[in-house]
Amino acid sequence: MTASTPAAGIGASTRRRDGAALLTGRARYVDDYRPHGLHYAAVVRSTVAHGRIRSVDVSGAETAPGVVLVLTGEQAARHAGPIPYFISPATRGGREVDIRCLEPELVTYVGQPVAAVVARSRVEAQSAAAAVRVEYDSLPHVLDADTALLPDSPRVYPDWQDNVVFAKTYGAGDAEEALHGADVVVSGEFRIARSTTAPVEPRGYVASWDATDEALTVHGSCQNPHQLRYMLSASLGLAESAIRVVTAKIGGSFGLKMQGLPEETLVCLLSMLSRRPVKWIEDRRESLMSGAREQIHRIRVGAKADGTITGLVNRIVADAGAMTAQAGWAMCNMSASTFPSGYRVPDCRVELRLVATNKPPLSAARGFGKDAAHFVMERAVDLVARRLALDPGEVRRRNFIRAGEFPYRTATGLNIDSGDFAGLLDKAQAAIDYPAVRELQRRRREQGRPLGVGIAFELTPESSDSPGTFVSGFDTTTVRMSLTGRVTVLTGVTSPGGGNDTGIAQIVGAELGVPVEWIDVVQGDTDRCPTGFGNFSGRSMVVGGGSAALAARDVRATLRTVGARLLERDPEACEVVDGTVRSVSEPDCAVPVPEVAHAVLTRAFAAAAEVEPVLESTRAYKPGNIDHRPDELGRIQPYPTYSSCLHIAVVEVDAETGKVDVVDYAMAHDCGTMINPDLVEGQAWGAITMGIGSALTEQLVFDAGGRLVSDRFKSYLLPRAGDVPEFRLEHQVTPSPFTMHGNKGAGEAGVGGAQAAVANAVEDALAPVGACVRSLPLTPPVVLDLIEEATR
Amino acid sequence: MKTPSATRTTFDYRAPEDLDGLADALGTARGAVSVLGGGTMLVPDISHGTAQPDTVVDLARTGLSGLRRADGEVVVGAMTTYRDLLTTAPAPVPLLRRLAAGVTGGPQIRNRGTVGGSAAFANPSSDVPAALLALRARMRLLSPDGVREVPASDFYTGPFATVRRDDEALIEITLPDPGAASFGYVKFKLSVGSWPIVTATAVAESGGGLRVAVGGAGRVPVAVMLTEPADPADPEWLAHIRERVESELDSVGTWTDELAEGTYRRRIAGTIAARSVAALRGDDERR
Amino acid sequence: MQPIRLTVNGDKHEVTVDPRDLLVYVIRERIGLTGTNVGCLTGDCGACTVTLDGRTAKSCSVLAVTADGSEIRTIEGLASPAGLDPVQEAFWKENGFQCGYCLPGMLLATRELLDEDPDPAEEDITRTIDGNLCRCTGYTTILRAVRTAARRAQHRDERPERP
Ligand SMILES: Cc1cc2nc3c(=O)[nH]c(=O)nc-3n(C[C@@H](O)[C@@H](O)[C@H](O)COP(=O)(O)OP(=O)(O)OC[C@H]3O[C@@H](n4cnc5c(N)ncnc54)[C@H](O)[C@@H]3O)c2cc1C
Ligand code: FES
Ligand code: FES
Repeated sequence: MTASTPAAGIGASTRRRDGAALLTGRARYVDDYRPHGLHYAAVVRSTVAHGRIRSVDVSGAETAPGVVLVLTGEQAARHAGPIPYFISPATRGGREVDIRCLEPELVTYVGQPVAAVVARSRVEAQSAAAAVRVEYDSLPHVLDADTALLPDSPRVYPDWQDNVVFAKTYGAGDAEEALHGADVVVSGEFRIARSTTAPVEPRGYVASWDATDEALTVHGSCQNPHQLRYMLSASLGLAESAIRVVTAKIGGSFGLKMQGLPEETLVCLLSMLSRRPVKWIEDRRESLMSGAREQIHRIRVGAKADGTITGLVNRIVADAGAMTAQAGWAMCNMSASTFPSGYRVPDCRVELRLVATNKPPLSAARGFGKDAAHFVMERAVDLVARRLALDPGEVRRRNFIRAGEFPYRTATGLNIDSGDFAGLLDKAQAAIDYPAVRELQRRRREQGRPLGVGIAFELTPESSDSPGTFVSGFDTTTVRMSLTGRVTVLTGVTSPGGGNDTGIAQIVGAELGVPVEWIDVVQGDTDRCPTGFGNFSGRSMVVGGGSAALAARDVRATLRTVGARLLERDPEACEVVDGTVRSVSEPDCAVPVPEVAHAVLTRAFAAAAEVEPVLESTRAYKPGNIDHRPDELGRIQPYPTYSSCLHIAVVEVDAETGKVDVVDYAMAHDCGTMINPDLVEGQAWGAITMGIGSALTEQLVFDAGGRLVSDRFKSYLLPRAGDVPEFRLEHQVTPSPFTMHGNKGAGEAGVGGAQAAVANAVEDALAPVGACVRSLPLTPPVVLDLIEEATR
Repeated sequence: MKTPSATRTTFDYRAPEDLDGLADALGTARGAVSVLGGGTMLVPDISHGTAQPDTVVDLARTGLSGLRRADGEVVVGAMTTYRDLLTTAPAPVPLLRRLAAGVTGGPQIRNRGTVGGSAAFANPSSDVPAALLALRARMRLLSPDGVREVPASDFYTGPFATVRRDDEALIEITLPDPGAASFGYVKFKLSVGSWPIVTATAVAESGGGLRVAVGGAGRVPVAVMLTEPADPADPEWLAHIRERVESELDSVGTWTDELAEGTYRRRIAGTIAARSVAALRGDDERR
Repeated sequence: MQPIRLTVNGDKHEVTVDPRDLLVYVIRERIGLTGTNVGCLTGDCGACTVTLDGRTAKSCSVLAVTADGSEIRTIEGLASPAGLDPVQEAFWKENGFQCGYCLPGMLLATRELLDEDPDPAEEDITRTIDGNLCRCTGYTTILRAVRTAARRAQHRDERPERP
């Protein structure tokens, strides 16, 4: 492989390409689009948790100033069909209901869209929406998953026999037998409260229906433009070719902005019916309704006296809230199949039940369910260490899959490609100076000040592929060089803020042998980019980068052939470097790439005779290791790569108030080859901070009627700068054998590991009183209760 | 959930330029009146429809900001911002300066949020009200009928409720000049961005004795008088302060909101009060 | 409806507003400067930060009528024809952003801090940033950027003139 300017090549921390636009306020987020004649939408939402709509009175809204359209669920159903599921539960043996952009009949949570208004201004739309009167026949509701499983529980969907959306058992071996033969068995019930992703930019869409051309243009804060186009075409009955989806600059997403949400279809329908461009920007109170996670795990783990874990049984009850066409419901699958993480536990059984309740649905969230597995698994490993009075680091070391054992198939079927987990532990312990921290802990304890150290390992399967769904393990990129040598990269992956366009440009620059400054990256436009799958599951650099490299190599080959002719050399003896084609042995014998490009495209029958005169290639990249053919236990292998990391958190606990402060934090991280270390670090820190937030303060609280109480940032507490320590990050590189550049997904790792490390640290701090951490978040009242319970 | 809604109708906007103009505006205002200070709470409430005034009387141009000393007293203009408290040198009321330094929301909020706004808002979880109680402040209210003064101890009648009438604006807060009296201020929050859960202010009074005011824990701020302990870590004294604070809280009722239950606030109130006394003596590094 | 005058990034504007119009929307939709963002409308996130008569403010919590007659600077007004402000440069160098949505608050609050104190204490840096939410970076690189900008601010001669 040839390298261009080293500062910009693979492995360099090139600064962000879009930096100037973002730093000067020129970048365009969805709310910044204001097509001529723009109108604004507001959504009327259910005020009851469960009920049948008796009547919708729109008279007050229709006559309100500025209003051009009021739409009820019943009317919407005449124009738009159900929204296709991103991942269909029915194809997995689960249950489905029709998801509509406006619910015409049965509301299942407070906040469900039931009507909508279009008006001249935002204020007029909101005022008119408040004037819509909806009456309901209330039905009994259920807000908690355990209760929803009881035989006499209200049913969220009355025609279902119970509230179970989906149930499945994962694992291999005989776990009960293994527990039976263990020296010790530890058990616990662990609860993860509902939190949310809360990007600082809420969701939003601007739809412009062109009635003359019968064409729809949608600008959206959306991670998956092609899937959104398909979905809109299905729900609105339009040809895909009549729809153009453009993803604006995205102000953070973390899964929330994956498609499948009712407002996407709704805003388009409002534009079509009102024949005006319509914008809807989510209010923060609407945005905070999307759940990210909520689960209960009841786990038993058996171990030998030396700390070797022999078996694991876990029963998971995951709270789905109401049903959604978004991918959120499917996260619990990953919670189950990520057990037993990076540990050698051949006898393992995980039973999963996903349960509907009358709360808002889940939306996909960074971690995609793996976070829950890590919180619980790492708590369990600590319980084993505590029971056996062993160092938690040593118990992990004893049970880790060994560096020589990869690829390693876990009991749940994941085929872990590579790693060195003990190496990560060494690095993290060195970064935090583990012996010194333990010594500090001893001294603090003497002063009666609880300080705790928590260790957590995290395995992050990334770049998944789910057969028959939009969760695709490959992607596609076009690399196109113009007459003047400018390069346009059109890729199917999107960048909701992480900056993967910079990484992709680095790869193309390196493969093509031209400076990155010559390269423009175009993402998120269904009319321009090849069919692709957008952003999820830490996939963008793996498959976006891989496909970009393949396409760039094709273009480079043509440049080399024609360049060599111009130089009157053998192509085999030439290379493309630093924007020139040159002879390997005589570097002065060189021709600039723009001249070569010009020759290819203007002298097709001379310099480029017998060469196909095209400086463009579209290639897809499919990484290795994915295998959807079920093995003898019915297990499939949906992931090419598995990133891994090890977290160590140091916390102080104020024993009088229960307040937890994270005072130090180290993470050793392995995502294989790093394309751009700065981008990787940025992702890791953001994810850890999100994990710390959900471990300590973030919680969606509902009142008895199912109304969200924590509906603003004063009551839903995100971490601020003063809440988190400065992080210590160590890198380890074990390249993936299954991806082109040896890179693994980066971006999801951090949430679950941070939750687990903080929880373990709090328990460690409280070890002298013997408190046991069983739930998240660990708010001061919860921690104070733990202390009092243990000392009672 | 309430559908996000803006104020349904617009409102009259008045921006008087002096106190006469203010009295006139209050007297002639149409319908429900909201007095606008820095707007950090009121403006979001208007945009979310939780406040629906017919008239907004904006104090921005009344010149009511700043701190001054007069006749053994300090007068704090209602429009004095947290930033003013931080930058007025020397600080006439060091306690208020200390309080302002701990107000969250960044410089943007400290630049605009006002002492008068916080005092008048009467949010049990705010910093200012309990501190004013500790400082024995008096609230000066202006209406078309003239000016009246109410001691802070009588001003607060409940969560978000005061004796202020709708046609009155809080124009000034006066307090006995604290001179160099020592004080301690401690606030407990769930995280950097959370409202205060419990605040405690300890003031060594010139006549002797300690006045400790606790905010956040009760439906209104409470104050207790204590004799200064020989050793603030003495368990017996700690039990005493806890008991005094808890009994005051029980008489006004504890405060519960979406961040914390009243029972939790009551549990830690004595601890935070004791810490404020330790801070007053300069021997608590935890603050 | 009432006419107000605003000077935004040096340009004078006269607009007619409804008293309930928020300053942030007047800047974004009437004056057309969309660099100021909206994240919460409750004063908590800081994405709507502007400088109002020299002091940062969250423009979602200011009525446009209150701002009548004032001088406003938005994120668009931070760079000068000579180039980016050193604060912007520092954020770029240190990767002090990912999606960029929080930048108005981060940049303008940092600028205000350094104008008052070119060598701020660590605690003051944190208290300055604490008014702004960032969900992407975890703050580490933001704090680094402020420190880097502060180091540069001490070499005043290196700073390009700002308007
Ligand atoms: C992000 C953020 C962080 C915050 N952090 C803190 C904190 O750490 N501690 C804390 O205590 N508070 C905090 N606050 C609340 C803060 O807004 C108040 O403390 C502030 O001082 C209110 O003042 P204001 O002038 O902005 O009030 P406004 O919003 O103008 O008014 C608030 C209420 O008081 C009324 N009012 C205002 N002035 C007068 C007057 N002179 N006479 C009569 N009525 C009046 C208004 O009608 C309204 O009902 C925070 C707020 C935000 C948005
Ligand atoms: S939009 Fe103004 S602070 Fe969030
Ligand atoms: S960079 Fe995305 S919110 Fe700060």
